[in-house]
Amino acid sequence: MTSAKDDTLERRLGWILRGGVVASTALLAIGLVLSFLPAGMSFAPMLLQAGLVLLVATPIARVAASAVSYLIAGDWMFVVLTTIVLVELGAAVAAAIHAQ
Amino acid sequence: MPSAASTLIVLAAGGGAGVLGALLGIGGGVVLVPFLNLVLHFPITQAAAISLVTVIATSSTVAASRSGAHLVNLRLVMVLEVATAAGSLLGGLTAQMLTQSALQRIFGAVTFVVAILMLLRLNTRNVLPDDAETGVLGGRYYEEESGRAVAYRIKRLPAALAASFVAGNVSSLLGIGGGVIKVPALNAWCGVPLRAAAATSAFMIGVTATAGAVIYFGHGQLPALPAAAAVIGVQLGSRAAMTIGDRLTVRWLKILMAAVLFIVAVLMFVRGNA
Repeated sequence: MTSAKDDTLERRLGWILRGGVVASTALLAIGLVLSFLPAGMSFAPMLLQAGLVLLVATPIARVAASAVSYLIAGDWMFVVLTTIVLVELGAAVAAAIHAQ
Repeated sequence: MPSAASTLIVLAAGGGAGVLGALLGIGGGVVLVPFLNLVLHFPITQAAAISLVTVIATSSTVAASRSGAHLVNLRLVMVLEVATAAGSLLGGLTAQMLTQSALQRIFGAVTFVVAILMLLRLNTRNVLPDDAETGVLGGRYYEEESGRAVAYRIKRLPAALAASFVAGNVSSLLGIGGGVIKVPALNAWCGVPLRAAAATSAFMIGVTATAGAVIYFGHGQLPALPAAAAVIGVQLGSRAAMTIGDRLTVRWLKILMAAVLFIVAVLMFVRGNA
């Protein structure tokens, strides 16, 4: 049990998650306000889309960062597990793109 | 121009769901989805998609703020996510094939079970002395109530994997977080103390919701403006709840919430069979 390594990883993943949520919420808030201002209506939809894409990408980035961290540590069991999760999320993205 | 009034109503609904979610330790989706569907008449797939993006925001915020407290069992997260993401992927695809009334009936049934679980809140302590052998997936954390470090071992991993799969499936099918299935299962069957189970589940829920949200997004079922309003509302609500949460006794709130959920279950059944 490498408790200290897990702690560092948990802190790093925390930064990714916080950063993703703060940035996406800011985009959504600006997009929301601009949707109701005549001057901002033309690019509000773009900001809203960007905010939603960033929000949905945040947990994916967190899983990818975990995979890289386990790879560097040579913890193969967890490299395999996190890679499977990434493939599953990739399948969801592929299904979404296929639907369009 | 979109309606400012309807956007404000969604923002307020998100706020209410955020407050309840944070105070009760359940995601707010179980009230947000029926409100969007039954009151504001969003199709249930859109209601689920909007709720899922709020779940991602909440899970990520909670996960970030809990880091360092040792409550999240990261290794267990990585193992169970394999099952929960698979369940979620399947749920998102299944939702595209079911009718609105079928989804409403399933929602009613799940809400009914959630209400009962809420009234019977399980709390098996499961803690061992700090020097106990925890195995690869077990964990240790500092328990505030007793003021000492405790350890736990994972029992019945297949049961935890099965519960995570089902939770992922229900989550993207209905737009709820799924913690309401994972937390009791981890606690009652798999040896995880309640606080660690709740923190570990909250951490995983972002990935669970993502697989579902992406699929709804691709099918054009995530209306951007209401989604933005709900995400902001939920975050404001859960932040507000954190400042009042400690001073409030949540026992009566749980009973009230269970009552609301029973009503939601009945309404969903009635609408689903209409």
